[in-house]
Amino acid sequence: MPPASEDATRRAALVALFIGIAAIAAGYATAFSAGKTPAWAAWLLALGIPVALAAIMILGAARGRRGIGPLKIPFAFVALVLVIGFGAALALPATEGPLSTLWLGLPARAAIVIYGVGLLPIVVLPIAYALTFETQTLSAEDVERVRVLARENQAAIENGTREPMDNQRRG
Amino acid sequence: MIQTASVSVLLQVALPNAARPAVVAVGILYFAVVLGISVWAARRTRTARDFFVAGKGIGLVALTVASVSVSVSGFAFIGGPGFIYAVGLGAMYIVLPAAVTNVMGAWVLAKRMRLLGEARALITIPDAIGARYRSRAAQGLSAVAILVGIVGYMATNALAMGVVINSIFGVGLGWGIWIGMGVTLAYSASGGILAGIYNDVFQGTLMAVASVLVFLFVLNFGGGLGEISRTILAHEPTFLGPWGKLTPLAALSFFFVFSMGSLGQPQAVHKYYMLRDPLQLKWYPLLKTLGLVLVLLLYFSVGVGVKAFVLSGRLAPLASPDQATPALLLNVTPIILAALVFSGVAAATMSAANSFINIGAAVVTHDLPVAFGRRVTNELRWGRTVTVLIAIAAAITAQRSGTMVAFLGIFGWGLFASTLVPALAVGLNWQGATRAGAMASIATGLIVTLGLETAAYWKAFTFPAGVTASAVAMVSSFLVFFIVSWLTRRTAPTQIDPDVRLVMEI
Repeated sequence: MPPASEDATRRAALVALFIGIAAIAAGYATAFSAGKTPAWAAWLLALGIPVALAAIMILGAARGRRGIGPLKIPFAFVALVLVIGFGAALALPATEGPLSTLWLGLPARAAIVIYGVGLLPIVVLPIAYALTFETQTLSAEDVERVRVLARENQAAIENGTREPMDNQRRG
Repeated sequence: MIQTASVSVLLQVALPNAARPAVVAVGILYFAVVLGISVWAARRTRTARDFFVAGKGIGLVALTVASVSVSVSGFAFIGGPGFIYAVGLGAMYIVLPAAVTNVMGAWVLAKRMRLLGEARALITIPDAIGARYRSRAAQGLSAVAILVGIVGYMATNALAMGVVINSIFGVGLGWGIWIGMGVTLAYSASGGILAGIYNDVFQGTLMAVASVLVFLFVLNFGGGLGEISRTILAHEPTFLGPWGKLTPLAALSFFFVFSMGSLGQPQAVHKYYMLRDPLQLKWYPLLKTLGLVLVLLLYFSVGVGVKAFVLSGRLAPLASPDQATPALLLNVTPIILAALVFSGVAAATMSAANSFINIGAAVVTHDLPVAFGRRVTNELRWGRTVTVLIAIAAAITAQRSGTMVAFLGIFGWGLFASTLVPALAVGLNWQGATRAGAMASIATGLIVTLGLETAAYWKAFTFPAGVTASAVAMVSSFLVFFIVSWLTRRTAPTQIDPDVRLVMEI
């Protein structure tokens, strides 16, 4: 799907994103086609959503041929947390009752979802983003490269040697 | 987040009259601060860039708090807790994505949007789409999609403001709409986004303080989360199941739409242009996520807490689920806390309205003319004029027909998600995406969302349990984007300007 020059990480992320979205679409399609939504339709979403979210984050974080570097660990961790959280909620038996053991104030399946899916990624992802920001996301040199190009463009436009870029041969 | 449902909830809920002296006093104080900030901001707004993107000069903390404020509407305070009260923990799947959405937005969009602003002096989201695909048509089509979504949001937010202000001051719904819209208009038209941002900072802080105080109060009043859970488990164990009373498919659909869909919400994405120093993005996701968690504490604690209090007989049964927050505030909490929360709800609706007015004005005065190869000569003056017109149109629409407003309010979030996420979020990170793919995807999102929502609203079509128009439109839009881009892939390399390519490669 991507052009040949696209790096391997982005290509893999695009394929994963497509597969994740296709799985979600298949989940909805079964709900439309069958008289009653089959139980495995929810499994398609439970797997497709983490794959799609992790894939689009990798797509955004991938940096040329360097790929995602150390970010592979937090991305894998979060995808796993989502899959395990949704999977546990789907697979574990419903035992909620007055005598249920509570985990931090909630019955087990609810605790897995609220604390696992809802809170664990907060501890990992934004910290990983901040710690890898200069190497993986944006450095002062990157900003300067963009500013230099912008100044060159502006100078060329003011000298009349170049059309403004946003007015070039648009469809 | 969560704007869509807000209105349908606020439309159905007749908030009780909360006009007690303390509530009115805090309400007046709130409006006085808003007007003070607006006067200050108006003196600093001199150009269209000041008006639409605050001259690209907002600091990290201010931008973070403002972004939290516009991400959460009155739904988080009124409709959301009511939704939990009605369906149990399944309602949490609307807010659980907040754990990943902010950092996902930072990786996928923030850097590239901010650098595009640096390279091209862009000020709107359609600007970014036009620059990415080198296409006025794509810019125009995305502008139309945003405008359609804003029409719905504005009418519903105007009505929501009317409901809240009527509840605080007891002035009647009609006057509530005009007062709320008048104050919002005063700062939107005079100070533009600068006034909006600093009012958002004030409003977001108010919302966070109110939310944390209510959370602590509920836990204390209920004897801790464990006691609250025990009470519920003794009567309605399903409520605390992982899906509540929803089907797994419905709960997971919420998670999908509110996670992936967050990448297409213009009120949040637009903010990336405004950060003074791009390198400050480093701490933006962490701060915004923490801010959102604080604001959403009320959503969870009131929904679950009120359920337990009603089941244990400490609170009378509710007339409707949406009375959960008002019933707790007016019957159980100290009145000053009620006053803070009611002002917080007004703040949430005004903050959202201001943001949408500003984006709508930019679409009309900037994006649509650019799409037709023209430029408005005085964008600041026309921006202010269109701001006034949008606000008046929204207030009039909100007054006229509850049914029509309810319909308009349904599709905002899903429309933005299905029209913008593939073309913008994927397109800025994939050089193989093509102009044809982007336009087909935007058109698909627009047509599928409007078609399915219209058919469902007028009962010409019933969705299978757990499936929503927003979700179907978003997956359709994604698939069309991939397929058409693949079919037209030979054109991709010629459609990216060198500076845009640099931004995409960094």
